[in-house]
Amino acid sequence: MSDTKKKAVPKEGAQKGPAAAKKAPVGNKLPAVPESVLLRRKRRDHERLHKVKTALKAKVDRLKKRREIFKRAERYVKEYRLKEREEIRLARQARNRGNYYIPGEAKLAFVVRIRGINQVSPKVRKVLQLFRLRQINNGVFVKLNKATLNMLRICEPHVTWGYPNLKSVRELIYKRGFGKVQGRRIPITSNEIIENALGKKDGSIICVEDLIHEIFTVGPRFKYASNFLWPFKLNTPTGGWRKKTTHYVEGGDFGNREDTINALLRRMV
Amino acid sequence: MASALARPLITVYSEKNEKTGTSVHLPVVFKAPIRPDVVSFVHHQMSKNRRQPYAVNKDAGHQTSAESWGTGRAVARIPRVRGGGTHRSGQGAFGNMCRGGRMFAPTKTWRRWHRRINVNQRRFALVSSIAASGVPALVMSKGHMVHDIPELPLVVSDKVQSFNKTKQAVIFLRRIKAWTDVQKVYRSRRLRAGKGKMRNRRRVQRRGPLIIYGEDQGLKLAFRNIPGVDVCSVKKLSLLKLAPGGHVGRFIIWTESAFRALDAIYGTWSSPSSEKKDYNLPTPKMTNTDLSRLLKAEEIRKVLRTPNKRPVRAVRKLNPLRNVRAMLKLNPYAAVLKRKAILTIQKKHLDKQEFLAKKTGVPLQKTKQQVRYEQLIQKRKEAIQKSKAAKPKTAKKAKKAPAAK
Repeated sequence: MSDTKKKAVPKEGAQKGPAAAKKAPVGNKLPAVPESVLLRRKRRDHERLHKVKTALKAKVDRLKKRREIFKRAERYVKEYRLKEREEIRLARQARNRGNYYIPGEAKLAFVVRIRGINQVSPKVRKVLQLFRLRQINNGVFVKLNKATLNMLRICEPHVTWGYPNLKSVRELIYKRGFGKVQGRRIPITSNEIIENALGKKDGSIICVEDLIHEIFTVGPRFKYASNFLWPFKLNTPTGGWRKKTTHYVEGGDFGNREDTINALLRRMV
Repeated sequence: MASALARPLITVYSEKNEKTGTSVHLPVVFKAPIRPDVVSFVHHQMSKNRRQPYAVNKDAGHQTSAESWGTGRAVARIPRVRGGGTHRSGQGAFGNMCRGGRMFAPTKTWRRWHRRINVNQRRFALVSSIAASGVPALVMSKGHMVHDIPELPLVVSDKVQSFNKTKQAVIFLRRIKAWTDVQKVYRSRRLRAGKGKMRNRRRVQRRGPLIIYGEDQGLKLAFRNIPGVDVCSVKKLSLLKLAPGGHVGRFIIWTESAFRALDAIYGTWSSPSSEKKDYNLPTPKMTNTDLSRLLKAEEIRKVLRTPNKRPVRAVRKLNPLRNVRAMLKLNPYAAVLKRKAILTIQKKHLDKQEFLAKKTGVPLQKTKQQVRYEQLIQKRKEAIQKSKAAKPKTAKKAKKAPAAK
């Protein structure tokens, strides 16, 4: 935008911007560096410095977080083992005394939709929608309480459900885990995805292991954790179904199959 | 911005292309916003106003008493001409598909030929085209040969207004280097393409310079025979002359009195027009149109966020249960578990071998891997003890707690 051309046909105004006006006003000095260039240099250097600082800080933060995640994962491994041995210990103890140990009722269920879209009665349809089971072979984690148990009873012929063990939960989340990020189904490829979605509130769930722990032990933020997980899209089971149209206890497939859901999930995940 | 509204002095040239002493401030009209879209629209509308109506005869095609023969006669049901004794009888009539029938939708004279344009729009277009005529780039891009003229806008002394011989006019145009534009007109003379030839529009030529005068003292007579040159009073400027074809940037030669009158006719932004009722120049949408300077301006740059030079792309999901790196990214503790699992298997295998060896009495030949395993176990023991000695509290990774699984 410099008007260096000599005017054969002079422009109507010798329009020099303030950049050129910064030139040496008097005498025959060489033209100084235009102000815009100086400003740009200053800005650029400032940005570079800032970038280096933030990169350093980010690196330190990442390292700290990684250590924290390691520690948490270690703690959970211990915790799961402890729980398992605890159940066994209590059962044994009771047997020794000639008593009976009744373990607590399951808190977590995994529900899989068995049947397709068509010919579903409206009440059942609504319940399935509420469970986010909108497609055949979709699965979700559900906290078991009176409300959800009754809901499961309503949609019983269309779902099969049971109590997943740790291996099932881990496999589901690691292999088929997708999160809901800004309304989109994003694969869980990094702990940052989970941290941004769930960890900003109180830092209780910042990695996949935290998520698994929250789901498996139905923690205080189970609702948010399981809602963050997009409904699992599972395969049809290798080896097939027994009979989708009857209840599990009748030799079919739908309804509560308690612990044997795990065998099914091995074939579906 | 001040610089955009700077009003330079325009020197007035004599009819012999010498600088007279006088100079005029550039009228503010030349700083008006140049809107080729408005000019084009208004020109398009205006050019419809000189049209003469055309239509077909209103009776055409209906001057028969034809009637359809109906069905059952093995002919199409189109109305046919009655009577007999001539070729015409029995021929189809009335329809647009028939020979000698009336056309589809016969054209009518009461078609809306003329268009009205809002006064303000008309003035806007005019003002835009005047402004564009002061920009050399636009005038050149319109095709006028303005390489050698002394200045743009070109203002000439009022002596020109009193020319009454074409010879004088030609000499004048030559002197101020506008003759090349006229020559271009000569060279562009050709026959029109199309039927216009036989409709009294046979020849076509370019437009040349436009002379705008304050007072006609014979100027019109002098210039009217020069091809391409148009002449116009400043009080009666017409868009059809200032932006022929709807395109801005006509080459205009102003006489001094015409040039001086512009401020009064169109007003400046600070004072409205004195000739036109309630009119002031249109205000531009951007006061500072120097885009390159705007984009580099500190005030604007400061408010923008940093450019995102590296967009984050979707990562392919790798199954962590199969891909070790993917697993470690998500769960760093997995390395510990995997290592432990491998070591446990090796240990069990080794133990079994030793047991069998003891049972059968065959001395065990340890494979290379087993030897290495034992060495590894030994090394780790030492390392753990060392680290424990150094930092008694924090026992790091390989905890030798009997993981019984």
